[in-house]
Amino acid sequence: METNFILAGFGGQGILLAGTILANSFMLEGKNVTWYPCYGAEMRGGTVNCEIVVSDSEVSSVHKQDTDYALVLNQQSFDKFVHRVKPGGTIVSNSTLVAEARPRTDIKYVFAPMTQIANELGNSKVANMAALGVLASVCSVVSKEYLAKGFEKVMSGKKKELLPLNIKALESGYNILAQAK
Amino acid sequence: MQQVFSIPKSMKKDFRYTFCPGCDHGVAIRLVAELLDEMNLREKAICSTSIGCSVFLYDFLDVDCVEAPHGRACASATGVKRARPDKFAFTYQGDGDFASIGLAESMHTALRGECVSAICINNTTYGMTGGQLGPTTIMGQITTTSPYGRNREYYGYPIRIAEQIALCDGTAYSARVALDTVPHINQAKQALKKAFEVQVQGLGFGFVEILSSCPTNWHMTPQEAHERVRNEMVPVFPLGVYKDVTTEKGV
Amino acid sequence: MTDNNEKVLIKGNYAIAQAAINAGCQCYFGYPITPQTEIGEYLSAEMPKLGRGYVCAESEIAAINMVVGAVSTGVRAMTTSSSLAVALMQEALSYAASDELPVVLVNVMRAGPGLGYIYPAQGDYNQSVYGGGNGDYKIIVLAPSTVQECIDLTYRAFYLAQKYRNPVILLADGLLGQMMEPACFGENPYPEVDVSSWALTGAKGRESRAIYSLGPNEKKQIQHVYNLFKKFEVIAEKETTYEEFQTEDAEIVLTAFGSMTRNIKAAMKVLRDKGIKAGCFRPITLSPFPHKRILELATEGKNFVVVEMNMGQMYKDVKYSVEGRSEVGLINRPVGEWLSVEEIVEAVEKLMEKNYAASIQYS
Repeated sequence: METNFILAGFGGQGILLAGTILANSFMLEGKNVTWYPCYGAEMRGGTVNCEIVVSDSEVSSVHKQDTDYALVLNQQSFDKFVHRVKPGGTIVSNSTLVAEARPRTDIKYVFAPMTQIANELGNSKVANMAALGVLASVCSVVSKEYLAKGFEKVMSGKKKELLPLNIKALESGYNILAQAK
Repeated sequence: MQQVFSIPKSMKKDFRYTFCPGCDHGVAIRLVAELLDEMNLREKAICSTSIGCSVFLYDFLDVDCVEAPHGRACASATGVKRARPDKFAFTYQGDGDFASIGLAESMHTALRGECVSAICINNTTYGMTGGQLGPTTIMGQITTTSPYGRNREYYGYPIRIAEQIALCDGTAYSARVALDTVPHINQAKQALKKAFEVQVQGLGFGFVEILSSCPTNWHMTPQEAHERVRNEMVPVFPLGVYKDVTTEKGV
Repeated sequence: MTDNNEKVLIKGNYAIAQAAINAGCQCYFGYPITPQTEIGEYLSAEMPKLGRGYVCAESEIAAINMVVGAVSTGVRAMTTSSSLAVALMQEALSYAASDELPVVLVNVMRAGPGLGYIYPAQGDYNQSVYGGGNGDYKIIVLAPSTVQECIDLTYRAFYLAQKYRNPVILLADGLLGQMMEPACFGENPYPEVDVSSWALTGAKGRESRAIYSLGPNEKKQIQHVYNLFKKFEVIAEKETTYEEFQTEDAEIVLTAFGSMTRNIKAAMKVLRDKGIKAGCFRPITLSPFPHKRILELATEGKNFVVVEMNMGQMYKDVKYSVEGRSEVGLINRPVGEWLSVEEIVEAVEKLMEKNYAASIQYS
């Protein structure tokens, strides 16, 4: 079984890092995974994205037209990627910066205030970890515990100091939908 | 009996020059060989050769040689020196090779201050292909591709190589010499020695431009050709040391 | 790299760079071009720490000639580039092949012709396998399909280059260069190669050596070209490598190189689920090309469908290999979006109706 993800947002939101953490979490779980970024001139427009494919067997195509999950942190990314979600797939949006709208009827929508969570924790930079927390709460393939391990793997040396704050953001994101109910 | 002449060890024992009568390449190569002997460099020398009349160098010099495509000798020598910093890397090129097709490689090697030595033979023409206009052809000079003489409208101006190389911050030594008289030959040897020394001392790029005769393509006798070097080339390409970091000398 | 056996999530470009270090690459010379620039960036940080050579060359032409100079002294050296800039290096590759110098060149392909664009493509099959340089010469060409293979084949590239004194191209693509996958560096599995019989180190205690083309001696040059080709016959005999999957009972063999291999393997599974007996074949060495194995499969009556991101460059080699004993079809898109598993499956079904002797071109 293959599941694929697109993570998108604007530069500075830590999209590529979030993707790297997610991909590492899959690797640490012993799954096959690939991470593929947009790169070069594509990155000059301000929005960035990366694609992650996770599979029990060998990963086939890396760069796919459609996706099971889209995790979008800004409006531009929502507008672009809402059309690339497979029927039955899910778009997980940062409601702090994305207007709640449901232009298609054949996909699922999740809205959570990721940037607001980060701001409440005192650092807008951890919105990406909050986003991963939200994703883990709605997608059974993604494990919150391994995301934490993925963060540790990626953040070596002095950056390890940032671990407690990022874990908090991850937890807050993970719990936000349950709290809202 | 006192021995007054011998072939340098750095020359092949059975070499026979294939250059035209009166060509200065033979003198230049002999000076290089003498210096490799005198400075004890033969056993660690690696030469990056070039394309043009200088292409036959490995038939004469008894040192390790690797061929470089036209114009790329300085890039090749950069590779040699970076791979083996303890060796002596040098190039021997014509003006077309060094200053036309290879100008980018030559100048950037100087700018990087690579510890290599480069020798450029300037005879104001492409010799090997039969005397066409090159980067050093002087104004008014008739060649097979400038039958009415070099002019600004069609051809633009020649390059003064030694001066240009001297402008590069990585250059440790840059000089222009000639081989038309015995005193000039002696000066040429001193300049070459300096260009070799700056490499050995790790000071940077060492460069010597050698004004040379080309009787065949100039349609002259050897004597007339050397007179042309004196009377027509030296006024355009003045002899001298343009940069020497060991004496902080410039013109 | 603290532990060589630890799995790390790493980009293909970084994997190639670190593998080159592990393989003993003493000098790197390069000029930036997307999508392979990370290789030069990574090595600019690592090579000085190791006391090894690194030059930001003024051009790709200079870079490859620096490699030629460096490897002539017996050390391992490499340059990396992409498509249109590899075009600039063809002259030096012809020289290196003729001079039998172990140049290692990595081409992380992007789209062409001309400037093209930075997205991945496979349009340099011909450039690598048949070369853009002058005269008759052959290059060893290795095509990885995963990040792990970027590592394994970089090790192999340095080894084969020195073992056979022949230039080697590692032909990757922008997809492989840019993507991250779990991979393991392990140890460079190949032995040291003795270069003392030819390397230029200065004529100390031996005769001087000259490495050059034998231009003015016609007889010698004729023999030289024959010798180069005889050498390549040995390389073909000993080093031709390929992978195949479920070809035993296959009626059609999907064939691809590089990262497209991943897609044909997935398409094969879908086709099998639909009851179509598909197998996969994938040359790892594009040069020497596995002609012999393809002919064997063709002789068993298996048809081939070549899937590639170009106008059918490897297709011609497969067609040549089958010697008319079976049909060869083509599924291609010249550049851009990699052919998807769905597109491949759909095209194979269409090709079946035409008994495979056709091509399906996607826009």
